[in-house]
Amino acid sequence: MDKIGGVVVSHGQFANELLLAAEQVVGEIPHIAAVSIGWHDNVEVAQSEIERAIKSVSSGKGVLLLTDMFGGTPTNISAMFLKENEVDVLTGVNLPMVVKLASQNKESTLAEMAEMVEKQGRESIYRAGDLLDPHKSKA
Amino acid sequence: MIKGRVKVINRLGLHARAAALVVKKAAEFESKITLIREEKSIYADAKSILSVLTLAAAQGMELMLEVDGSDENAAFEAISSLFETGFGEV
Repeated sequence: MDKIGGVVVSHGQFANELLLAAEQVVGEIPHIAAVSIGWHDNVEVAQSEIERAIKSVSSGKGVLLLTDMFGGTPTNISAMFLKENEVDVLTGVNLPMVVKLASQNKESTLAEMAEMVEKQGRESIYRAGDLLDPHKSKA
Repeated sequence: MIKGRVKVINRLGLHARAAALVVKKAAEFESKITLIREEKSIYADAKSILSVLTLAAAQGMELMLEVDGSDENAAFEAISSLFETGFGEV
């Protein structure tokens, strides 16, 4: 099964490290790449790096760009690649979102995948105390 | 369907690495495998790491393991043995 590709795009080294962390959890993820945009890189350089990354992970089923923060340069440059059924962008990437995109086990369209990854990202934020309840769990 | 309790004995609990082992093992079987944290009614599909992590199962906690399918005996044994050996961490 061909997978939908992914590119994590961030300021600094966050994207590389996030992808490495995801690989620690689920093993190698050949269909996701990382682009870290240096604080001083110019737009053209960053743009061509993202373009190269998109090509490297594309299997023809579309590529989802996962960026660090809405309104930031990585997101703004990523948004230049938006194209229906080909490239979609989700902002505010977290580790569960990368894991979700890594573990595709059934066929889906880019739009469906973007929706699933977005939902996963939102639902993966917990106030730990509400869930852990340490006193009860030790019983 | 087979049901039985499993206990988390390793210090770090059912953390990401341990959950990844469960998911990898569960994927080897055809059966539907569910881990349940009963007091909170949290049901986790043992074949999805993000689902298993929502159990937030700490050391000492007991979970219900439910396995349903053609290879349920082998699957139950394999998953419970991961818990019994503390995911290789004890």
